Amino acid sequence: MSKTLAVARWEYLERVKSKAFLIGLFLTPIIMVGMGVLPSVFATQEDEETRVIGIIDRSGVTAREFARRMEERYRLANGAPNYSVRSIAVGQTIDLGEAVRQANNMVSNGEIEGYCVVDGDAAPDSVVEYRSRSVGDFRVGIRMQETLKGIVAERRVLAMGLDPRVLKELAVNLDVRMVKLSKAGEKEEAGFEKIFFSAFVFLMMMFFLIATSGQILVRSVIEEKANRIVEVLVSSCSPTELMAGKVIGLSGLAFTQLGFWTIIGVAASVQFGMELINPGHALLLVIYFILGYLFYAAIFIGAGSPLTTEQEAQQVNTYLILLLVLPMMLALPAMKDPEALWLRVLTFIPFFTPTMMALRVPIQVPALWEILLTVVLMILSIYVVMVAAGRVFRIAILSTGKSPSFGEILRWARSG
Amino acid sequence: MLLVTHLRKAFDTVLAVDDVSFSVQRGEIFGLLGPNGAGKTTTIRVILKILEPDAGETTYDGRKFSDRTRDILGYMPEERGLYKKSKVIDAILYFAELRGMARGQAKAEAYRWLKRFALLEHAERKVEELSKGNQQKVQFITAVLHGPQLLVLDEPFSGLDPVNQILFKDILLELKREGKAIIFSTHQMEQAEKLSDSLCLINKGRVVLGGSVRDVKKRYGTNSLHLEFEGDGSFLNTLPGVSRSLIYPNSAELELTRDAKTQPILSELIGRLEVRKFELVEPSLQSIFIQVVAGVPAPRQLEAL
Repeated sequence: MSKTLAVARWEYLERVKSKAFLIGLFLTPIIMVGMGVLPSVFATQEDEETRVIGIIDRSGVTAREFARRMEERYRLANGAPNYSVRSIAVGQTIDLGEAVRQANNMVSNGEIEGYCVVDGDAAPDSVVEYRSRSVGDFRVGIRMQETLKGIVAERRVLAMGLDPRVLKELAVNLDVRMVKLSKAGEKEEAGFEKIFFSAFVFLMMMFFLIATSGQILVRSVIEEKANRIVEVLVSSCSPTELMAGKVIGLSGLAFTQLGFWTIIGVAASVQFGMELINPGHALLLVIYFILGYLFYAAIFIGAGSPLTTEQEAQQVNTYLILLLVLPMMLALPAMKDPEALWLRVLTFIPFFTPTMMALRVPIQVPALWEILLTVVLMILSIYVVMVAAGRVFRIAILSTGKSPSFGEILRWARSG
Repeated sequence: MLLVTHLRKAFDTVLAVDDVSFSVQRGEIFGLLGPNGAGKTTTIRVILKILEPDAGETTYDGRKFSDRTRDILGYMPEERGLYKKSKVIDAILYFAELRGMARGQAKAEAYRWLKRFALLEHAERKVEELSKGNQQKVQFITAVLHGPQLLVLDEPFSGLDPVNQILFKDILLELKREGKAIIFSTHQMEQAEKLSDSLCLINKGRVVLGGSVRDVKKRYGTNSLHLEFEGDGSFLNTLPGVSRSLIYPNSAELELTRDAKTQPILSELIGRLEVRKFELVEPSLQSIFIQVVAGVPAPRQLEAL
C-alpha cells in the first residue's frame, strides 16, 4: 500500500509541477468562457461612430421616411445618430442597373458601408436586400427590418383611412416563459440555456479531464517502457501496485483541476449573479463524474499499456476520444425529451451512464432506483475493467518491440 | 547467499535460459559473462522476478523472493534512462521510496551518494540536462541507495570513461567489503577478470563454465612459461611438464601441461642457464572465452509447444 502511495504521489507531483498542467488549468476555463461569452459580447457591442448606409428606393416614397426614422430612433452613446442614410436613387423610373453600379462603387471606395434596395410597395410580403461587404452584423439588418415594417404598416393603415396611432394600440408584447415542474409539482425556474449550459460544461470538463489524463497515462507508460525504468519499478513493487498508484495519482490530478475550476465557477457565478445549479444535482454529477473518470481511466490503461510508440498512442487515443464524443453528440436530442426510452436504456450502458446522467439530472432527476442501479452497475464495470486492464498492464509493460495484436490483448485480459 | 537452481525460460520456440544454476555468496562479486544475445539479461530478469521462469527457482538465504523481500534488491538495467524531465534528486528519492525507505533517511543517503559521485551541484537539475555518464551514475545511485543485500547490475561499465570505470570499480569493491552480494553482467572479459571472485559463462542460454575465477583458469586454460636467458637452451623441450616449446637463441615460450609445477623447472634451469626472466603467464579469460564459446552448438529448439 505504501508503494502504491509512493507511485501515486510521484505521478501526481511530477504532473502538477509541469508547465502543461498549469497552462491547462488556467487556459481551459478561459477558453470555455471565451467560447461561450465572446461572440455575444462582440455581437452586442455598441457602435462608436455614425455608420453611413445607402438606399435605392423604387417605390419613390420610402427613402425619406426611412432616413428620418433610422436617424432619429437609433442614437450613439454620445447622442449623435447611429446611422446616416444617403439616398442613392429614388423614384419609380430609375435605372436599377445604373443605380446599383453607382452604389457598388460607393461601397468599394468606402463612402457607404452598404445599401438596401427597396422595391415597389406592391407585394404584401417582400424581401428587401441589404448589400454590404460584411454581412456578419445582423443588428443592422434587424433595425432596418423594424423600420421598414413600421413605414409599410403606417402607409397601409393610412390607406385604410385609420389613424396611425392605431398601430401603437396594436403592438402586443408577449413572451412565453419556460417553467420546469419538479416531480413534486413545485415550479422550478429553468431556462433551456441554463440546463444546456450546465450539462454541457459538465460534459466538456469530463471529456477534457479524461482525454488529457488518459494521454498522460499512456505517455508515461510508453516512456517507462522505452527506457526500461519499468524493469526497476517492477522489481521494486508489483504491477498491481504500480497501476493502482498511477490511477490514484492521475485521479488526484483530475480532481485538482475539477476543484480549481469549480472554485472559479462558483466565484464567477457569485460575482456575476448567475444562478448556481442545485447542490443536490451537483452532488449527483460529481458522483457520476468520479465513476466515469475511473471507468475510462481503466480503459485507457488497458488500451494504452501495450503500445510502444507515441504514434500508436495517438491513433488509439483518437479512437478512445471518439468513444467520449459519441455521448456528447446525443446531448441535443436528449435535451428535447429527457424521458425518452432510448435515453433511459443508454443510461444503463456503462460507456454512456455518466454523460446520460449529466444530461438527465439537470432536466429531470431520474428515479432513485435508476440512480442506485446505475451506480452499482458502474462500480461493477469499473471493477471488471480494472481487473482486465491490470492483467493486460502486467504483461504489456514488459513487452517491447512489436505491439501485440488485439487478439493477444484480449487473451491477456481474460487469462488470470 | 543467492541460489539459482535450474532456471529455464523460453520465448516462443527459443530457450533463452536453459537450466542455469549458480550461487553468489555475501561479500562476493559475481560476473555473469557471455557474448551478446547469450541470455544474460533474460537470466537477470528472471532472477529479479521481472519475468516468470518456466522452471527452476531463485532463493536468497533459503527464502524465495516475494513482494516483501523485493526491498533487499538493487537493480540497474542495461538501458540507460531515467525520468528525463524530472529533477535528479526527485527521481532518486522516488526509487528509494519504492524500495520502502523513509523519506528523511533517503534524502540524507541521496546527498551522501551524490557527493561521492561529485554530482552535488546537479541535484536540482533535470535528468536530461546531465551527460550520459552522469545519468549512469544517478542510475547507479538509485540501485544502491537503499543498501540492498543483493545488487544486480546489467553491463554497469559500458559507456563509462576510464576514470569513472575506476570509480565504479572502487565502489563495487567497497560494497563487497560491506558484505553485499553483487552480480554484474558484462561481455568485456578484462572487466570480469579484474573484478569478479567467481563467474558463470553463459552462451546460447546455457552455462558453459562456472566457478571461482582461479578454478576456471585452472580447469580450462593452460599456463605458459616465458623465459629469457643466456646460454644453450636446446634442452628446454625435454623438461618435465613441458608439452610444447618455441625456443629462440635467448628466449623461449614453453607451454605447460595442466598439472605441471613450476618449481622443479626452475631448479633444473639454475646452473645450466643464466636466467634473466622467468614468468608464468596465466591464460586470460578472453582466450578461455573464445575457446569455449567457439565450440558450443546452436541453441536447442523446443519441440512444438
